[in-house]
Amino acid sequence: MNADTQKATGTDHKSREAAVRRKRGGPIARIRSWFDLHLYSLVSSIGRMAQKPLATTLTVGVMAIAIVLPLALWMTLANVQRFSGNVAASREISVFLKTGIDVPHANAIADTLRRRDDVASVVVRTPEEGLAEFRRSSDLAAQIDALGENPLPSVLIVQPRDDGAALAISLQALPDAEIVQHDAVWRDRLSAWLQFGARIAWVLAVLLGVGALLVVGNTVRLDIQSRAEEIAVMQLLGATNGFVRRPFLYLGAIYGVAAGTLALALLLLAARVLQPALATLIASYGSHFALDGPGPVGVAAVLAGALAIGWLGAWLATGHHLRRSRPNGD
Amino acid sequence: MSLLRFDTVSKRYAGGHEALTDVSFAVEPGEMLFVTGHSGAGKSTLLKLIHLSERPSHGAVLMEERNLARLHTRGVALQRRRVGVVFQDHRLLMDRSVYENVAMPLVIAGTPRGEIALRVRLVLHKVGLSERERALPKELSTGEQQRVGIARAVVAQPPLLVADEPTGNLDPQLAIDIMELFAAMPAYGTTVLVASHDLPLVKRMRKRVLVLDHGKLVDDISATELAP
Repeated sequence: MNADTQKATGTDHKSREAAVRRKRGGPIARIRSWFDLHLYSLVSSIGRMAQKPLATTLTVGVMAIAIVLPLALWMTLANVQRFSGNVAASREISVFLKTGIDVPHANAIADTLRRRDDVASVVVRTPEEGLAEFRRSSDLAAQIDALGENPLPSVLIVQPRDDGAALAISLQALPDAEIVQHDAVWRDRLSAWLQFGARIAWVLAVLLGVGALLVVGNTVRLDIQSRAEEIAVMQLLGATNGFVRRPFLYLGAIYGVAAGTLALALLLLAARVLQPALATLIASYGSHFALDGPGPVGVAAVLAGALAIGWLGAWLATGHHLRRSRPNGD
Repeated sequence: MSLLRFDTVSKRYAGGHEALTDVSFAVEPGEMLFVTGHSGAGKSTLLKLIHLSERPSHGAVLMEERNLARLHTRGVALQRRRVGVVFQDHRLLMDRSVYENVAMPLVIAGTPRGEIALRVRLVLHKVGLSERERALPKELSTGEQQRVGIARAVVAQPPLLVADEPTGNLDPQLAIDIMELFAAMPAYGTTVLVASHDLPLVKRMRKRVLVLDHGKLVDDISATELAP
């Protein structure tokens, strides 16, 4: 035995053992040790990510794309819903009167309608006003002038008190009405399209969520494979499944949060790129509209969802490994 | 009460090979003993049954009269903390320092940091590696690596230490040094069971010897019988 070993006298040993006993603590020491275990797992996970920057970037990138696609669709639908909601809120009914009905006659019909209980207001738009608006909003002014006379009829813009469905039907029975146009019809169609879009977004979210889960699971599985010997040694030293699993769960969760953050950043970047072009488009219709982001609750939900996907992927991968590493004969 | 007891233990592997047949023996606390036999006699299987890498096909392995076969996942992990293991190939974590390798069983057990530092330095002092705690295993000699493995096995003060051919790769003098280190362990309350096929070394240690042959326990020689 070497000299260093021989120096370990009984007295020396006893004094060190006594020091070890003094270091043992109560509940606070146990909480600190629990905290140490988690800190150990967290630091191990970050270390593993730092050791493989390319693999980490690829995993986070693929996950972020899988998250951003349904998220972008949802955001688009939410904005379309908001925009269509603003327009459709008026629930207007446009009654195009027969050509040849003059303005006093149109005003008389409007007065009759204003007395109805289911009518909130009636605005008469004369052929001249209609032509002026048409000139402002289209490039066909020259062609209209070439006709020589105004082909537009008088229009009554009727604002119903309720949803206007029954009123629109009764207005169609007016002898002086040529066409009755009710906004609710196209609004219903738009609403159906939006619902369909929301369904597509859900299906995409589930499919791509499963894809993200598999990406994390596979990355963690490869990490476990490369550390199989280390895990086996730890198990022989008494590591519980929880101890083995914990660093990988942290790893999956970190992947998830990083991917969620990147997905949100990509989404905001896309919104910033699209906003000027959209503003120009909306302005050409004489309106203005700004894209809405996911908001604080949406951001938190995206990050929590991404974290859950990462965590679950890692949990599945480690669970598979741990089931295979039970003592032979179990 | 015996610390460890094998009660008519047999182990048959999936391919049909029977590594152990009706093996029975008991080990008392504070004892040091050897398991010897030719290659394939069943020494490694016997140790694997103790540290729960394998389960017996028949019979029972009992530690302090608790049947190890009845332990489930968490119980297996907790039981393994009560058995220090030294491997022939050391099985050190090559990307961790000597300190981190030795500290691993204590980290796993959730020992407070301050206590880990004290215990690791104490045991490194015992095995003569106080000056090498920051070194990586690849910077150490084979003998030093084996001593790190021993330090790791005893740092949590397990009641039982098992070693599988711990001197297999060492030169004779180093092998004697390592065996003397094991022989000192019972003084600290650790029972030691060493599997070795190095008969001259085993005889030199003058401890109890279990002899295995083709999976059967053919002899149980007490220390007094080996005395000169």
